Amino acid sequence: MSQEDPIRIRKKHDFTGSFLVIGWRGDLGNLGLAVTDYLNHKLQAEEFAEIDPEGFFSLGGVAVEADVARFPESKFYFAQGHQLTIFQSNPPEAEPYKFLNSVLDVAVHHCQVREIYVVGAMVSFSAHTAPRQLLSVVNFSQMKDVLGQYDLVRDMDYQTSPGERPTLNSFLLWLARRRKIPAVSLWAPIPFYLVATGDHQAEQKVLSFLNERLNLRIELSDLDQKIREQNERLAQARSHSPQIDDFISRLESNLVLSEEENADLIKKIAEFLRKGD
Amino acid sequence: MEADLGSAMGIRLYREPPVENPVLIASWPGIGNIGIIAVDTLRGLLRAEEFGEIEPWDFFYPRRVLIRKGVLEYLEFPSSKFFFRKIQAADLIFFVGEEQPTEGGRMYAEGRKAYQMANLVLDVAERFGCRRIYTSGAAVALIHHTMKPRVWAVPNDERLIPEIEGYDNTVLMSGIEGREGQGTITGLNGLLLGVARKRGFEAICLMGEIPVYLQGLPLSYPKASKSVLEVLCRSLGIDVPLDKLDELAESTERRIEEFYQQIPLEIRRQLDRLKHGAYAQPTEPGPITEEEKRRIMEDVEKFFKKGGGKG
Repeated sequence: MSQEDPIRIRKKHDFTGSFLVIGWRGDLGNLGLAVTDYLNHKLQAEEFAEIDPEGFFSLGGVAVEADVARFPESKFYFAQGHQLTIFQSNPPEAEPYKFLNSVLDVAVHHCQVREIYVVGAMVSFSAHTAPRQLLSVVNFSQMKDVLGQYDLVRDMDYQTSPGERPTLNSFLLWLARRRKIPAVSLWAPIPFYLVATGDHQAEQKVLSFLNERLNLRIELSDLDQKIREQNERLAQARSHSPQIDDFISRLESNLVLSEEENADLIKKIAEFLRKGD
Repeated sequence: MEADLGSAMGIRLYREPPVENPVLIASWPGIGNIGIIAVDTLRGLLRAEEFGEIEPWDFFYPRRVLIRKGVLEYLEFPSSKFFFRKIQAADLIFFVGEEQPTEGGRMYAEGRKAYQMANLVLDVAERFGCRRIYTSGAAVALIHHTMKPRVWAVPNDERLIPEIEGYDNTVLMSGIEGREGQGTITGLNGLLLGVARKRGFEAICLMGEIPVYLQGLPLSYPKASKSVLEVLCRSLGIDVPLDKLDELAESTERRIEEFYQQIPLEIRRQLDRLKHGAYAQPTEPGPITEEEKRRIMEDVEKFFKKGGGKG
């Protein structure tokens, strides 16, 4: 692997005291990508730096997704006037320690970042009609108090189960703590049958929080429209298929579906939503 | 206070161990965890004291996170620790790595990180003037699980061969049927041997035999660890009780026997022939032929490809 500095800075801004929002491509429901794309678009953020993929990604070829060749990207954007840095990236396939340190190097040395927010999604076994929550994990206990005024679940307990590994977000929070940078990972539950297609309600939950916390003053009403459309499509799916309706009704009654039923619901919803594209 | 080895090297020493010309015994997990169980058992029996570690972050992905009341409390990484013990026979340094650093989804270490890790271990060996290195691992062999595993010994210097020839229950590669002195030791337990040679340390890798049909199972094989430990203790001139390993081996044996009974009778009959292996005692039926060995291997592979070894 190349031992060169993988950071490529293209443009310098006045970053004084900025916030950093991180979203990973390809996470559950593609939530990280959706949130950072939305912020980049609404705030007209400008790309100013990237992390070179060599050493962090398998470069033995190119992946094709949805008919288009994809290449791993790790890019930094800056929203002038909002003091917001946005990092959108594929999760590294190798050298995660070096990769995350490179992200933090840009955050500290180039952007003078004072707080980091990293977007994450988790699978929920509740129905999409259930009230949504946004959970937070902080790397300094003082940050819990700072977040006290927002609509967040702030007292999550979690321990890695046998056979599993911590998430990249936990790794990032830990590294940020070593550098004394307050960081928060946000966890938006996504109903399991929307993980493949995406969930606008989860996007809205995360974006509403960021909007308020980072004082971005973004008009989010277009998300309401997307949520309405998503709910309408799901309602159509329920009226179209009694089995989908039965599964979702049971979830709404807090009943647990079997593994086979879960898989069946995922498949049927994906098929239905795809047909409407 | 940490000894000054330089933080850039990724080594943290908590104290200066009072050792003179010590022997370094290193191991990482591998097939059947044979080497690491042997080394860690000896470390425990001798009550060796921890004195340092290799910083894990550049080598390993964290393995556990604890979040309490919404606050990330800690992140745990696989450890790579050094211990020491002064005994009458020799001063000993132990290195126990909880994981092998892997790249690209491989099972065992290879490449830049493995080489870097091996060099860090040897930096410590050099720092304390180690006179010899031992590593330990597994040798996948056509043996039956009811047999006492032999120990395959590979030195990194031909001058060590006469010494190895004097060990009980031990074979050199040239003594293994069909190998003619050739072979490969995968992972760090092998790599360390080579890097040690490059850096001028004499080193021996001791590998306990594990039956070929057990290599893919998520089971330890303490019977082979005991064989390794017997050879290692003999080589070091120390005497330790190994009853603990016997107990461990007995309980593992019961699980192996349960697995063995699940193997289709036809394949099991073939495997039973391994009880009369090429190096069996003269009182037992004659050794199996090369053709029979090949057939056994084919049957075993077929069985595992069908998923029979999962469980």
